[in-house]
Amino acid sequence: MNRKLLGLIPFLIFILLCVFLYQGLFGNPRELQTGRIGHTMPSFTLPDLMDEQKQWQDKDLIGDVYLLNVWGTWCPTCIAELSYLTELKEQGVKIIGLYYEQAYDPDFGDQFDINKLRAEVQAMLARTGNPYQFNILDLNRTLALDLGVSGAPETFLVDKKGTILLHHTGDINQRVWRSKFAPKIMELTQ
Amino acid sequence: MIPEIGYFSLVLAMALSLLLCIFPLWGAHTGNLRLMRAAPSLAVGQCVFVLLAFAILIYITLTDDFTVAYVAHHSSSTLPWYYKVTSTWGGHEGAILLWLVMQTLWTAVVALMSNSLPWILRARVLGVLGFLGVGFMLYTLWMSSPFERLLPYYPVEGRDLNPLLQDPGMIIHPPLLYMGYVGLSVSFAFAIAALLTGKLDNTWAKWSRPWTMAAWGFLTLGITIGSWWAYSELGWGGWWFWDPVENASLMPWLVATALLHSLSATEKRGVFKSWTVLLAITAFSLCLLGTFIVRSGIIVSVHAFATDPDRGLYILMFLAVVVGGSLALYAARVAQVKSEGRYQFLSREVALWINNIFLVVAMLVVLLGTLLPMIHKELGLGSISIGVPFFNQMFAILIVPFAILLGLAPMLRWKQNKLSPLVKKWLLLSVVTLVITSAWLFGNYEVVAPLTFIGTALAVWIVLLTLFDLMQKVTVQNTISEGVKRLGVSYWAMVSGHIGIAFVIAGVTLTSAYSVERSVRMLPGETATLNEYVYRFEGVKEIVGPNYTGHAGVVSVLKNNKLVIELHAEKRLYNIGMQFMTEAAIDDGFFRDLYLALGEQLTQGAWSLRIYHKPYVRWMWLGGLLIALAGFIVITDKRYRKTSAPSEQQGVGA
Repeated sequence: MNRKLLGLIPFLIFILLCVFLYQGLFGNPRELQTGRIGHTMPSFTLPDLMDEQKQWQDKDLIGDVYLLNVWGTWCPTCIAELSYLTELKEQGVKIIGLYYEQAYDPDFGDQFDINKLRAEVQAMLARTGNPYQFNILDLNRTLALDLGVSGAPETFLVDKKGTILLHHTGDINQRVWRSKFAPKIMELTQ
Repeated sequence: MIPEIGYFSLVLAMALSLLLCIFPLWGAHTGNLRLMRAAPSLAVGQCVFVLLAFAILIYITLTDDFTVAYVAHHSSSTLPWYYKVTSTWGGHEGAILLWLVMQTLWTAVVALMSNSLPWILRARVLGVLGFLGVGFMLYTLWMSSPFERLLPYYPVEGRDLNPLLQDPGMIIHPPLLYMGYVGLSVSFAFAIAALLTGKLDNTWAKWSRPWTMAAWGFLTLGITIGSWWAYSELGWGGWWFWDPVENASLMPWLVATALLHSLSATEKRGVFKSWTVLLAITAFSLCLLGTFIVRSGIIVSVHAFATDPDRGLYILMFLAVVVGGSLALYAARVAQVKSEGRYQFLSREVALWINNIFLVVAMLVVLLGTLLPMIHKELGLGSISIGVPFFNQMFAILIVPFAILLGLAPMLRWKQNKLSPLVKKWLLLSVVTLVITSAWLFGNYEVVAPLTFIGTALAVWIVLLTLFDLMQKVTVQNTISEGVKRLGVSYWAMVSGHIGIAFVIAGVTLTSAYSVERSVRMLPGETATLNEYVYRFEGVKEIVGPNYTGHAGVVSVLKNNKLVIELHAEKRLYNIGMQFMTEAAIDDGFFRDLYLALGEQLTQGAWSLRIYHKPYVRWMWLGGLLIALAGFIVITDKRYRKTSAPSEQQGVGA
């Protein structure tokens, strides 16, 4: 092959790479294509974080547009987004917490210290502001598994019929909210 | 006021680097010696002002000036002073400033130590470095100033440095890595200067080689310490994750390794000239690409850096200009280059060429594994993830022929070799390798998996052949001391580097195969056994640190009823961020590490503990140090400091 053309190959590969990198810059790697989008919330019966007498079921949530926010006090990014979520709540957004406890390991078969966790959560929310209507405790991570949660924080947008419209991985901040969530909610209210 | 002085100082530095970019390049183009002569003082000048800005950032961090956004976000008043200093590169803006410090320091050192270079080459090298300086300074001033204020509403306390970064390994890891990245920009500048001059002879290879070796040495150290930090700080005994950020540092390392082998062939034999230039460009391009990947948020990584598409766009534009420009220049000039060395198949040239192929293929594997998920998605094919198994499998396949060749190649001479005497030695040595490996593994372990055997045998093979070759070369002379003297500095560097690789291979293989772990629930006084060690849980005590509180699990480690060591595995709660951190207790040893992590508090005073027994894990980092040592051995070579060696003037291939 011609030496001149051979010399051009690295340049051409690089140009191609640049095109992908440029596109990737405006795509969002945190956007997961979960199988759950467009489906209804999986059915569940789980206790309230603060009161185990109170049990929440999937049908209790139907009838409102809400955000389901997967979080835990062990997760620094979750803590960071709490104050912004609280702002959203003050603007009238309904946010329900799905508490994901990382420290609890069923393999040890041990009693879980729920009171300690509650104190911790209360102390945390007193510091940052409390964005949640209530928190669902998913100790055995069954609902998280059904939803395809891969970590925390993750947030789902659910409409009045209980259909999941969005699944966002990573924190919610003003930029994410405006570009991703707000347009969807506008659509719903129109 | 003081932060503003810092910003202003950076503005001055940028003005100087603009001049550094324009004057010498224009001077070299028009043959104006006065313009070219301005370059060294401009290089030193920009370095002084960048250092001043960096000193100011350290000063305002130490004095807890929380009106400055960077300090408020990455430091706190309770942070110990040494972590305050390191917090200046714990965040994005500071890390880029550190990069600038390194960039200008290297430029200044090149300016001061290159006085034996012809002016036209020296000016072009400094001009290219000046251009890179402008790019990074513009970025700092425009989009990532660490001196931004939070006025009028500023916090009374900072948000503290991420506890993960509060570790001695983290103090030196980023500076070393940046030394490596930026050092490769010097090789890059030499390559571009050579392309601009149109003289791709072995002179440029000779000049560029010590800089490349130094940069590569720092990069090796940086990666090694990064791995060690992950191991000691992340709390589950892992040491490499194939995370995009790690891959970003591994890719330039692989190419730089190829580059320094190819450079030696270009320097000594005048072959692979255009290939060597391409490698020099690629190595630095991958550093920039790595920075882009890490800082733009294009890929999800456990290293959570603040991400911002504007910043990503800037870095991408810079990448496009620098890399696109240099590859275009390469394409324009490469056809003129002719290789004049002749060699046969069984020669060191061919061995180095195959070595380069392996290293570049390994780099492409990492590059594809890192970028493929993104490309796949952009093509509309859906989300995929490429994980650890892919990389492990690919590297396991590549390492076998690579390591076999690595053992054989040093025995080959340049140009041509006779096959039969070599084959006899190789057959003999491979039998010895198998015997040693079998004795080692079957003597110590009940189960030996085929892959474990292969990995260990490769390590033994490399060490045996390297030592055999060393012995042969030393005994050629009449006395051994004379033989030792005859061997060049770069030969010793090769011995150190190759044995280092053997240690890495052995460490990775054996620790992967024979590490064991146990998760246990323990009451004070209870014991657990793992391999030959007995662990007695003595209880938990409260600990109070400067900016954290927590618990330390005290565990006595016994072997044959004798106390080996008392370990304190800590679980810390950092006051400001309310983050829990596991601080593993490690008893390190040459042949094994005992690694202990404190888990959760369970009921009735019981705690969960994770115990790891990791054989030979230290060999990986020892190997890394030996490899890095090779880089530093080469720079001590006196040949590179002679002002004018006769061979250059003759210009073997000019």
